[in-house]
Amino acid sequence: MRNLLFSLILLLASATQTYGAVGCDLNDPDRDVARLFPGSTGYKTSYLSIAQKGGEALLAKVEERLGDKFHGLYETIDVPYTLYDIYQGKQKIGYIHGVNQKGQYGGIQVFLALDLEGIIKSFYFQKLTSKFGKQLRDPKFGQQFVGLSLKDFYGYDVSSGKATGPSRVEQIKNPAPQAEADFRAALRAVKKNLILMDEFVLGNQYLKYFKPFGGSSR
Amino acid sequence: MMGANDHLAIEAYHLMKLFRLGSEEIAAVNDVTLSVKEGEFIAFIGPSGSGKTTLINILGCLDNPSSGQLVLGGRSIFDQGKTLSEAKLTRIRREIFGYIFQKFYLIPTLTVLENVVLPFTFYRKPGAESEVGEVLRRLGIDHRQGHLPGEISGGEMQRVAIARALVNRPKILLADEPTGNLDTKRSEEIGQILKELNQKEGLTIVLVTHNPSLANRAHRVIELRDGRIYQGEEPCDPKAGCS
Amino acid sequence: MINIFQVAYKNLLRKKARSGLTIIGIALAAWVLVSLLGFNRGYESSLNKDIDNLGFQMLVTAKGCPYEAATLMLKGGTGLRYMKQEIADSVASQPEVEQITPMLMQAVFDPNKGESGGITAYLGVDPATFPKMKSFLEFKQGGWFSDPNALEAVMGYEAAELEQREAGDLLLIPTKNVELKVVGVLKRTGTQDDGTIFLPLKAVQKIFGIKDELTGIGVKVKKEADIAQFEERMYRLPDVQVVSLTQVKQTIMTLVSTAKVMVFSIALIAILIAVVGVINTILMSVMERIQEIGILKSMGATAWDIFKLIWLETLILCLTGGLIGTAMAMATAKLTEILVRQLLPYAPSGGLVQINLVLVLFTFGVVTLIGLISGIYPSWKAGRVRPLDAIRSQVE
Repeated sequence: MRNLLFSLILLLASATQTYGAVGCDLNDPDRDVARLFPGSTGYKTSYLSIAQKGGEALLAKVEERLGDKFHGLYETIDVPYTLYDIYQGKQKIGYIHGVNQKGQYGGIQVFLALDLEGIIKSFYFQKLTSKFGKQLRDPKFGQQFVGLSLKDFYGYDVSSGKATGPSRVEQIKNPAPQAEADFRAALRAVKKNLILMDEFVLGNQYLKYFKPFGGSSR
Repeated sequence: MMGANDHLAIEAYHLMKLFRLGSEEIAAVNDVTLSVKEGEFIAFIGPSGSGKTTLINILGCLDNPSSGQLVLGGRSIFDQGKTLSEAKLTRIRREIFGYIFQKFYLIPTLTVLENVVLPFTFYRKPGAESEVGEVLRRLGIDHRQGHLPGEISGGEMQRVAIARALVNRPKILLADEPTGNLDTKRSEEIGQILKELNQKEGLTIVLVTHNPSLANRAHRVIELRDGRIYQGEEPCDPKAGCS
Repeated sequence: MINIFQVAYKNLLRKKARSGLTIIGIALAAWVLVSLLGFNRGYESSLNKDIDNLGFQMLVTAKGCPYEAATLMLKGGTGLRYMKQEIADSVASQPEVEQITPMLMQAVFDPNKGESGGITAYLGVDPATFPKMKSFLEFKQGGWFSDPNALEAVMGYEAAELEQREAGDLLLIPTKNVELKVVGVLKRTGTQDDGTIFLPLKAVQKIFGIKDELTGIGVKVKKEADIAQFEERMYRLPDVQVVSLTQVKQTIMTLVSTAKVMVFSIALIAILIAVVGVINTILMSVMERIQEIGILKSMGATAWDIFKLIWLETLILCLTGGLIGTAMAMATAKLTEILVRQLLPYAPSGGLVQINLVLVLFTFGVVTLIGLISGIYPSWKAGRVRPLDAIRSQVE
């Protein structure tokens, strides 16, 4: 009888483990929003995807602005992106937005807290599997992103890791040289995050700073 | 004016209809004998409780008499003691009679045309469909074919009911207080229609009414009181040998 | 001209609210019936699938607190019990055994996972025997590892999705800081394999420093073997725990049958309520139309004609209700599933509510039957109305 019970539990209990979908939610929104936006009183959650907002045509535009194509099994057109609108009383004071990015050893989840103009107030690795996790998660690393916006990142080429022209992104230092792959992944994640924010929420107010690499400007 | 031929549409002999009321037995129809010729238009009048509706029910095969004999078009229907089942009565009725009543009983969700042809859903005499248009025209309602009963007047509604009663080419039209729910003007119109149907088509009409002017359109008026014929011709009993 | 079906249907339109409410009543009964039957079917088949998908008919694990092992499955952790490699050999040598596959599960605490860290479990399997036992596992990318010593991994779909891993990527075992190469990503199976990371057995033994010990043995029994006898013998082995999945399946099937009875009782009650509702409605409408029915009789309708008419009205109500109810059930199947998962403590991982054509047709048949049966009494009553009754009301 004990055997039976054991196997029953084995069978059934294990099946209740549900793994998250490919989307990128905050693990504990109540706590995380309060931490990333001190003074906030509430938030509203919404889900957006490229498929929903513009389909293949939009994907092509985003890829062009990113300077890189969307890769692989998990970076697809229907991935849901979670957007948190942050409120203080009735007034919206900013946004929190997260994206998934493939890292060297595992998935990376990058969350940005932004003000209403799309300027980074805070950078946060919700998930990171790396030998150098300690260094990358150090607040000093995230601090380097504060105050930057898509204007700065439009000048950064994610494929080469170099900036065209003066860019504050160049000044962001990699704390662990062997973690180059994950470092670059984090930067790509931030640029993608900002592009999607600009497209979905800010009405592409930063598009004027976009110059395609190696081609004539629009 | 008598009809073209002398065949008898209805012959009734010593009809009785008894009801039990408490410990008493009341005769609603008490030994009534009469006959109606084909093409004749007769009207029954009389006070409330005189039994005219009960009588007309028996003549129209809507009810069995307690005793007596009824012959329709030479065919014996009721004979002493024999009671006919509802199913049988239905089959006899639909061959011979068309009915109209005080309340029009039109189905509100069917159009005028659909109401008129409703009998065909259950029973259709061969060739009857082709005459529907004619019936509508004759009753002056063909322009109202597509309307619902709620959209037409009371007089028109009764005309629809008459049309419906006529589609299966009945031999006898039974009308029980057809103008009871209509005003004077409309009642006159209906009376006119009945008269025309009788004169032009030779339709035998048996009418029950409270309305004297309507009754006077008939060839013959028979008054009933307490279940008996009070006035009007007491026709000869053909069996007794008279013309 | 006009046929009896049109008359019936237009009659129902006369009292739209009443007809509507009756239809809703039937729709609800149909909805309940379809959902319950769908749940019944889904639960049973998902359970079967979960059990069958384990691949082995029998699982041998080290003796110890069974709940510990279950906890490991759930959340990972230490406190694992091991059994010696030799036991696998002795089991393999039994005459009834067709094949065995040894397994070693290990877990690590990953400080980078989630908010305050989490457990990641790795299952070491033998590439020579395990894939064959689980031959129905399909790959989205790549394939199984072949070298038993290789530092390679095959990931269940959801485990891979979580880490955004594809074939060719690297995987890091935290704390041990060992790098593995992902050689395969499995397609979704709807079982716990979706969240598992498979490594070669010897690799796990080496990484975690465990020699000659296992946490589990999967056993496949020969077709012609006497399972009962074999199980008896196995139960008597010292130091190990034997789980016979055929037994589990049987127990679960018994449970399922009990559940079935309960489910059908509920469905039956829903149907009875609907039947009563229908009879009431139609009866009421017949009573209101006594005079009109009398007139129809005077037009030449026989008792059978009237019976047909009223019966048809009942049927139309029931079929419309049935259609709506079934459509609603199909539309809300996913929702029902979520609801059920909240309510039940343990549920299999596959689709819980499975509605197919057979089910739909069956419900339709039931609803039609409801219509036919509930319609009989009112239709018969209507048929018996005499034209006289219609006229009587005019009697002075």
